[in-house]
Amino acid sequence: MALSVLIVDDHPTFRASARRLLEAEGYVVVGEAGDGVGGLAAAGVLAPDLVLLDVALPDLDGFEVARRLTAAPGAPAVVLTSSRDWSEIGDLVARSGARGFVSKDDLSGAVLAALEP
Amino acid sequence: MTLRRGLWAIGLVALIAGGILFAIIAESPYTDDRGQLNELAPVIAWSFVGTGLWAWARRPENRTGALMVAIGFGWMLATLIVAQTPALYITGWVLYLLPYALLIHLLLAFPSGRLERRLDRVLVTGAYVPCLLLQAAQVVVFQPVDPCCGLARRENPLLITRDDGLFDALVLGQSVFSILALVALTVVLTSRFRAASETQRRALTPVLGAGVVMTVSLILTLTADLILASDDVEAIVDLIGRLAILCVPFGFLAGLARSRLSRAVAVSELVERLGARSEQRRPLRDALADALGDPSLSLAFDVGDRHVDAEGRTVALVAGAHTPVEREGRRVGAIVHDPALAEEEPAALRAAAGAVALSLENERLEAELRARIGELQRSRARMVEAEDAGRRRLERDLHDGAQQRLVALALTLRLARGKAEGALAELLDEAAAELQQATNELRELARGIHPAVLTDLGLGPAIGVLASRAAVPVEVAEVPADRLPAPVESAAYFLVAEALTNVSRYASASWAEVRIARANGSVTVQVSDDGVGGADPAIGSGLRGLADRAAALDGSFGVWSPPGGGTTVRAVLPCGS
Repeated sequence: MALSVLIVDDHPTFRASARRLLEAEGYVVVGEAGDGVGGLAAAGVLAPDLVLLDVALPDLDGFEVARRLTAAPGAPAVVLTSSRDWSEIGDLVARSGARGFVSKDDLSGAVLAALEP
Repeated sequence: MTLRRGLWAIGLVALIAGGILFAIIAESPYTDDRGQLNELAPVIAWSFVGTGLWAWARRPENRTGALMVAIGFGWMLATLIVAQTPALYITGWVLYLLPYALLIHLLLAFPSGRLERRLDRVLVTGAYVPCLLLQAAQVVVFQPVDPCCGLARRENPLLITRDDGLFDALVLGQSVFSILALVALTVVLTSRFRAASETQRRALTPVLGAGVVMTVSLILTLTADLILASDDVEAIVDLIGRLAILCVPFGFLAGLARSRLSRAVAVSELVERLGARSEQRRPLRDALADALGDPSLSLAFDVGDRHVDAEGRTVALVAGAHTPVEREGRRVGAIVHDPALAEEEPAALRAAAGAVALSLENERLEAELRARIGELQRSRARMVEAEDAGRRRLERDLHDGAQQRLVALALTLRLARGKAEGALAELLDEAAAELQQATNELRELARGIHPAVLTDLGLGPAIGVLASRAAVPVEVAEVPADRLPAPVESAAYFLVAEALTNVSRYASASWAEVRIARANGSVTVQVSDDGVGGADPAIGSGLRGLADRAAALDGSFGVWSPPGGGTTVRAVLPCGS
């Protein structure tokens, strides 16, 4: 069965192109949110399998949102993303409860699959 | 000149009243009751009134004159105790101790005539209570019958009920209360004299000297009363006290005269002191305040068309409360002083203003220079902050603009690549590789302009990234956990970045250490390595830029790099509390 994905990012162009790419590669994008609070609310309602979460959101920082998303039992898998290179702050990613980090321009179904549960 | 006319009238009244008092004393059968020299009373009263009126006319806002006049009249009223007419005699009896209370008031209020300290107000209250209240209480319970207690047998129209026991208790309480108050007064006056400056002492000596003699003799009188000493002893002690009181107004006159004399001396001393070598020189304001005897004195400097104080704040000058200071016909500033000084010592003020012109001009230039340096320092700090803000904005614009478009392009290319075959697929792979290169370069550029990790997460993670990217192993020994002010974080970050770049480029080091510690309102940033040393901050533009950045934040910067001994770069940046 196809995995459901929620995209949380404040850039509409990224949300649109990520949706198109992931849908083409067999994912079901069940929703989008433009900020951290909206992302948390949408995750509660939609219960996606995976949340693709931008690090730099206008309200909360992505690590904080990831911590809150993954705190509850049955939480979605969270993959952090950014057009900046945050890969070097590995322990922050790990401590946030996210499964991993993917640079925005490296995003593909295959990369996500490697990080899936 | 209504004040002057009023003062003349008071003087006339005092003269007439004193004359009448002489007549009352002359025909009184009671004057020898207490062995007092009652004939001295009008003289004492006139000397208080006379000196008081003179002081009052000279400095109307100073209450000393009025107090002296009050003492003079109080003295006459108290002396009425020798009168035969019951109304007069009772008035004298009730007010018998009023002049002593007023005297204590005067001594504590000298030289301003006002009770400026809380302790003074307490002491003066402590003098009025036994002198007026306890005295009045005695009057209503005592009927003089025998030649007892210094009071001859006379009718007491105020008598409510005679109670000798209560009367004795009141007299005892009054004596004890008075002795305590007088001892306290002696202590206060003595310590005030000790604390006074040399110039103040010259004026205070005669006044306080007479006051202390009077106080001590009053204590002796009261003690003699208490221990029931013989009449002869009491008479001698009483005489000493009265002579001491007679000295007080003349002591006061001498004090004023000496303060005038000493002011001229002080101004010439000031001139001498201004010529002293700079390390012996006192601040100009202090020297002037001392010389002119006005602790409230301050200096104003003319800067442009404004007047500013030593800290560069604009001040308003009030007519009559300042004396202009001119140098070579040009106004350079002003001495701001007590308005009374202009009336009282115009010559001393003019002399002082002339004497300090050069020094004041120097201080004005220094104040102006300090103000400019301060402004320069602030504007430099603002420039650094503006540069940081500009860098942050530029990075954010790159991130939100070009980077997002390149990302969208990369994802679209990847989508297209999934659907393409053959030669087209190869072309798309090529395009994707080019795009990847461009994206990486843009990302590096943005990071160099201002690292987002510093803005978003602070120094700890940002320094961690720098350490992980360095060419040699870097140990991050210490970094503050809390966020610091943005300019300090930026300065610390760029210092570590530049120092680590130098380590990998020039130092041939195998190891480096970063230590950022916050203590006592400043942040110390230190990067050390075990390389070849010999770095010269005068050569590298990078190190010089760091020194400038630290200086702009009012911090310090240093490089220790002995040949073969490794390199340590350290900056200390002020950081609030």
